[in-house]
Amino acid sequence: MDIAIKDGKIVEKVEGKGVKVIDASRMIVMPGGVDIHSHIAGAKVNAGRMLRPEDHFKDVEVKTEKTRSGVGHSIPSTFTTGYRYARMGYTTVFEPAQAPLKSRHTHEELNDTPIIDKGAYPLLGDCWFVLERLAKGMIEECAAYVAWTMRATKGYAVKIVNPGGLEAWGFGGNMRNIDDTVPHFNITPREIVQGLCKVNELLHMPHTIHVHTNNLGKPGNYVNTLETMKCVENLAHGDKPVIHITHCQFSAFKGRDWHTFASGAEEIARYVNNHSHVTLDMGQIVFTETTTMTADGPFQFILYQLTGNKWINGDVETETSTGIVPFAYKRKSYVHATQWSIGLELALLIKDPWKIYLTTDHPNAGPFIYYPKIISWLMSRRAREKVMRKMNKRARQKSLLSTIDREYTFYEMAIATRAGQARALGLRHKGHLGLGADADIAIYNIDPTSVEPSKDYQLIRRAFKHAAYTVKGGEIVVKNGEIVKSVDGKTFWVDVETSPSVDEFVPRLKQVFEDYYTVQYENYVVPEHYLAVSCPVHTKAEI
Amino acid sequence: MVVVLRPKRAFKLPVEAECITPDSFAGKSVDEIGKLKVWEGNRERSLNELFSVEGEIGAKPEEVMVKIFGDVHKVRRIGTQMSAGEIVVHGDVGFHLGEEMVGGKILVDGNAGSWLGSMMKGGVIEVKGDAGDYVGSAYRGSSTRGMSGGTIVIHGDAGNELGYYMRKGIIKVHGNVGQFTGVHMKNGIVVVYGNSEGRSGAEMTGGKIVVCGSVPSVLPTFTVEAVKSRVKINGEKLAGPFYLFKGDIAEEGEGKLYISKASNAHLKSYENLV
Amino acid sequence: MPIISNVTCPVCGSLCDDIEILVENNKVVKVKNACGLGESKFLNYNGHRLRKPLIRKNGELVEASIKEAIRRSAEILADAAYPILYGWSNTSCEAIRVGLELAEEIGGVIDNTSTVCHGPSVLSIQDVGYSTCTLGQIRHRADLVIYWGSNPWSAHPRHIERYTAFTQGRFQASIWYRYLAHLSAYRARRRLLRALKLSSVREAPTIEAEAGLPPTLFRKERKMIVVDVRRTRTADIADYFLQVEPNKDYEVLEALRALIRDEEIDMDTVAGVPVETLEELADVMIGCKFGVLFFGVGLTMSMGKLRNIDTAICMVRDLNRYTKFIIMPMRGHFNVTGSNVVSTWQTGYPYAVDFSHGYPRYNPGETSVVDILARGESDASLIVASDPVAHFPKAAVENLVRNPVIVIDPEPTPTTLMADVVFPSSFVGIETEGTAYRMDHVPLPLKKIVEPPSGCLSDMEILQRILAEVRKIKRETAEVA
Repeated sequence: MDIAIKDGKIVEKVEGKGVKVIDASRMIVMPGGVDIHSHIAGAKVNAGRMLRPEDHFKDVEVKTEKTRSGVGHSIPSTFTTGYRYARMGYTTVFEPAQAPLKSRHTHEELNDTPIIDKGAYPLLGDCWFVLERLAKGMIEECAAYVAWTMRATKGYAVKIVNPGGLEAWGFGGNMRNIDDTVPHFNITPREIVQGLCKVNELLHMPHTIHVHTNNLGKPGNYVNTLETMKCVENLAHGDKPVIHITHCQFSAFKGRDWHTFASGAEEIARYVNNHSHVTLDMGQIVFTETTTMTADGPFQFILYQLTGNKWINGDVETETSTGIVPFAYKRKSYVHATQWSIGLELALLIKDPWKIYLTTDHPNAGPFIYYPKIISWLMSRRAREKVMRKMNKRARQKSLLSTIDREYTFYEMAIATRAGQARALGLRHKGHLGLGADADIAIYNIDPTSVEPSKDYQLIRRAFKHAAYTVKGGEIVVKNGEIVKSVDGKTFWVDVETSPSVDEFVPRLKQVFEDYYTVQYENYVVPEHYLAVSCPVHTKAEI
Repeated sequence: MVVVLRPKRAFKLPVEAECITPDSFAGKSVDEIGKLKVWEGNRERSLNELFSVEGEIGAKPEEVMVKIFGDVHKVRRIGTQMSAGEIVVHGDVGFHLGEEMVGGKILVDGNAGSWLGSMMKGGVIEVKGDAGDYVGSAYRGSSTRGMSGGTIVIHGDAGNELGYYMRKGIIKVHGNVGQFTGVHMKNGIVVVYGNSEGRSGAEMTGGKIVVCGSVPSVLPTFTVEAVKSRVKINGEKLAGPFYLFKGDIAEEGEGKLYISKASNAHLKSYENLV
Repeated sequence: MPIISNVTCPVCGSLCDDIEILVENNKVVKVKNACGLGESKFLNYNGHRLRKPLIRKNGELVEASIKEAIRRSAEILADAAYPILYGWSNTSCEAIRVGLELAEEIGGVIDNTSTVCHGPSVLSIQDVGYSTCTLGQIRHRADLVIYWGSNPWSAHPRHIERYTAFTQGRFQASIWYRYLAHLSAYRARRRLLRALKLSSVREAPTIEAEAGLPPTLFRKERKMIVVDVRRTRTADIADYFLQVEPNKDYEVLEALRALIRDEEIDMDTVAGVPVETLEELADVMIGCKFGVLFFGVGLTMSMGKLRNIDTAICMVRDLNRYTKFIIMPMRGHFNVTGSNVVSTWQTGYPYAVDFSHGYPRYNPGETSVVDILARGESDASLIVASDPVAHFPKAAVENLVRNPVIVIDPEPTPTTLMADVVFPSSFVGIETEGTAYRMDHVPLPLKKIVEPPSGCLSDMEILQRILAEVRKIKRETAEVA
């Protein structure tokens, strides 16, 4: 079968002289990889980079004719991020935590992240404006605000992190339960999730709400996660998902404390198998030194207290917070090994690959450069067992993995790493190779007719590490794992058409703006020309 | 078997010569060694553009002795990650000598630059002259990569932040030291035979620091425990008496700081507390 | 007559963005909302400035065409074996981006002014992290504001009014009225001092021996404390001023940390301060609902440098076990934060980045420009919007001017006088737009409010043209080879 490309799109056929042909026989051809959740740009990521010279100094990228120099490891510099994704055949990546006040920063970094298409999710679950409107039941005004935020910050999806907990963290507090009341705001996390879910539906956003649950990283939190998924059950229409629970591994913990800690993957998987309104991504652990960074300030403070490692906290006025702590996942640790197991259990127990996607919540559970390893674990029981033999004994004995035979097929793998993620993001031109799709293509040097992933998992790992070719927007950017051309990727953002138009809501917003912020309204808004390649996605709202 | 390197000229730009180690020399011919790459500023050069190379080379690192004659105070990272053999520098040497060294021996006739033996894991470094700042230190920001083994002996003075984030091993300074000796130290031993400019053991959580000379003061976050008549360090007995302080209590530290009683009359009031 | 509003002030790290400017015939005639420093910059920037590129020929700086100056600069930089690129704190992020690309292209060392101001703060953050926030959090929540070794009243004049003690927040009210009381007390004190002076008392009293902390500090409302080695204007309006002996900040901070952990101290006084006073101060810090510690170069550049900040950060970190506490450096130049930010996302490191091996390397002390100059290792330099000749130590300056120096600056400075090539550039934030980062890492747009004089390009354009010319020279050399 041939795939024809013209003007950056997949077309029926191309003719004429000078047509470039890539011989991909005996290779796997997939759409370019899509990453729904990877911290690659913005204030928090950069604070992590600044914090950790020791993370970078042994992992460098030398300048070449075609590429800029940079550093890794867990928090690579912007150019390195783009190149390393492209080398793995990934062409679209979303930054999942943009503090709205600092969105200029996110976009400046995304502009310097080459090759890949990208976008960012503004953090909205603790915005004063959102909390106040939702507490008063003013869903439509909240929707107008969210629509405005997408335009003002050039955002792509509604991100909710530890709803209510981050506002409470402003005074050092947190939310312990989905029905706790947020101090000063008379609203609960449940109401925030439900409210923003309704808003998301009203606005016809391409992606669902993207939720990092309360109590993330704490034993026993799977109950809370189930509650969060249940609380929007009746907001779903048909089979369309309405909520994405991100890096679910961190939210699938059982047990009362770290001693009784255990996997809650089975319960989560059972629920997800029986419901169609939820999608998940893994947040798979890799045993390595990495950097944890989330908007979940209180969680990161707990992590600092657990490890004693250096800790950055960065609260953002009226909106959100940030925490960063370097972290090493060790296979001999009972908790870490169990976490490793939870991620894989989720991916293997949830039957439909369209519902759970491969991520490491880069860099939280491990840097994205380890995706090929995870692919090999999903595709080969033997690869999993090899890791298990070396890990903590108690964790191994308790792990469900020894009872799971399932191995992902190449098709399932393609869904979990691109098609599913593209669909969840509402990116119609990504994640497939049909006519009209963006010509973002990854070719891996691996013959699916002869290779048995179950046995040859090392081959799989190697092949997914260095794509034979990566084609981005119809241009060959990677050949044999090396960058041969650098192009600028697009930045997606959502432009919601509302009626009355969002502009009519602006005067009301301006009234409170001076009371809330320390910057002027006009200086908060990110103009479109700020994006190197702006790509608005238009939707029409029900308001 | 001895290889002799002599700089062909005085260097103005920083020269980075990680390749000058018994490990990378072992089993090579003089010609091959001459072709090893070094950096002078932003220009990559071969070793023999900057140095004359002669002598005999052993097959294994432990059979290689590198002798450097002349002023190499602009030459950095000599002996990086060396595991065996010997390097002798007859003259002053630049930054990062013996960085991440694992084994073997380095001897310097003259002075050594800053970051001497930083991130060192094993082996011995001896400097007849003075050393700069950050002796046996970690790389910036890496609490887990401080010196983790080996011995550094400095016969002259050393600068500030000696033993920063040190985890194991021993550093001896026969002269004086600057400030913040053993800052953030986790374990290991530092002995200063001369005077200290103060703030020794700042934010240390463990390990031992001995100052045989004078100190301007002791940090308020060290509490006096006892007066000891002597201290034993790796079999060597240091005659006291010493005040023994514990700290840094700001870090809930268990570090031990021994300060000579004889050289520090101004600390006498501490005796009322023991 | 256009009034331009919401202008961001390109002077200090507070980056006030509510300035209103009246422009007549391409001239700023009136400035509203700005402090004295800001107003003076907007009104007077255009007085004494460079207008033509200059090249040194036969020892004299003579006027040259922009093309000639670009070519000369590119030749110097392409030829250099260890060039340095310094400054960057008074220009836009867009210019810094190009600067980094140029540094990478020529294998140079790029460093910004934080190397001589808050560089140590960065190093200590890399050791222990820090707990910080944006200024609005302080506006809304802080009930305890501490300025340590910084004097915002003079250096960041609107900081207190816009972001801290005198601002009205959601959970905390302004305490500007208390300022009036402090002000009259201040005036009374001045009168007294003058009287004492006139009555020929030699030593005017400076340190008031206060017994314990004033009771206002234990109130629920907002309070402000200043810690410094001498009484400043900011200290005069604070609720409490703690004077410490010079170069003893480290000891005071360490002692406070121990006291916060409820440990006993084997001393009666630390840096001239009775331990009881420190105990009370520790209680005030633990007892607040939201505290913030702002520190300035008084702490970063006094003896102990990075370790002062290290332990200050750790103190704030420890306080978070009991309450909410935040720490923030008072950054000086308007975009020094931005120069750290851009450098970090492109290279992984905030300053002192050495590209000589084709990739970023970082080790302040080794790769910081002031140290490279002190050791005399560089062989050419590009200075952007900074004046090292006036500010660097003598040995460093001697080594700087011994080699070719290229300067991009709108204003004549001692450095431009010593340069070999001088580019007059436009003023960022007045004649050129761009992005800058506030001290709390909030990005803000800088506006173009008037046209620059003809011939004055922006820093970014000049750098782009030098970069293009360097690449051309490299291609030519490659072809010849």
